[in-house]
Amino acid sequence: MRQAGTYSGIRFGGGNGAHSLPLARIKKIMKRCGSGDEVKMISGDAPVVFAKACELFIKELTQKSWTLTLQGKRRILHKDDVASAVVATDVFDFLVGLVSDGDDYDHHAQNLVPKERETVLEE
Amino acid sequence: MVDPEQDRLLPIANVGRIMKQILPPTAKISKEGKQTMQECATEFISFVTGEASDKCHKENRKTINGDDICWALSALGFDNYAEVIVRYLHKYRESERDKANQMSKGNNNIGPPHPTTTNTTTRSDQDKVIGDSDHDIHARSTSTTTPTLMEFKIIEKGDHITLL
Repeated sequence: MRQAGTYSGIRFGGGNGAHSLPLARIKKIMKRCGSGDEVKMISGDAPVVFAKACELFIKELTQKSWTLTLQGKRRILHKDDVASAVVATDVFDFLVGLVSDGDDYDHHAQNLVPKERETVLEE
Repeated sequence: MVDPEQDRLLPIANVGRIMKQILPPTAKISKEGKQTMQECATEFISFVTGEASDKCHKENRKTINGDDICWALSALGFDNYAEVIVRYLHKYRESERDKANQMSKGNNNIGPPHPTTTNTTTRSDQDKVIGDSDHDIHARSTSTTTPTLMEFKIIEKGDHITLL
């Protein structure tokens, strides 16, 4: 049923080349989404849209995280920079649970508590 | 080598590549940093899909399409993404239409039109099928192959044609 090339990333954006993210994987994630009402069918353009949306999301969160990395006078982006960026941004509220779960097992003592950063976070 | 657990996330290599696009060339990302971003991006997909799925369910629709994703992005506060995506989706659908049109034009290039009237019904029928499918080409996968048109030669009585 699927047209050849739909998920191999060689279609659309012939000038841009392939998508940055694999459409098949995106579709798999969408199908697994447990919203109560099972996701039954996904149109061909939905994963394409998500590939772009995820790109925008990753870029925005990365940029915000990097700002915190620089504020800490470091050149390596750590996961707590991502966590702090999530906490600082309203639209990323849905991720707060996800990023706070990982803090417990952080090996670097100085990076453990994002709360210490709150004073330097800019709204 | 493929970790089944990793299968539920977006590939870390792709995620890392996108992150690097926005950072200065001297910037470095820790492995855990990439992993966290990988999980966040995956959760983002689930979160937005859930919202889009709810909408479809309320409207008694079974298929989530690109427009639903755009709507969900706006509804969840990602208005800036929604604007970009709407334009992106429009361009994508146009390019899909163009490709489908090119394919159908390729199938129609078979021989010169015959003066006999019996043939034209076949050809116009084929054209109708192609025309209809153009309208909702973005709504369903364009997998229907247009059957190749056949040339019909009217054999008049008395003609001697050698059949190979």
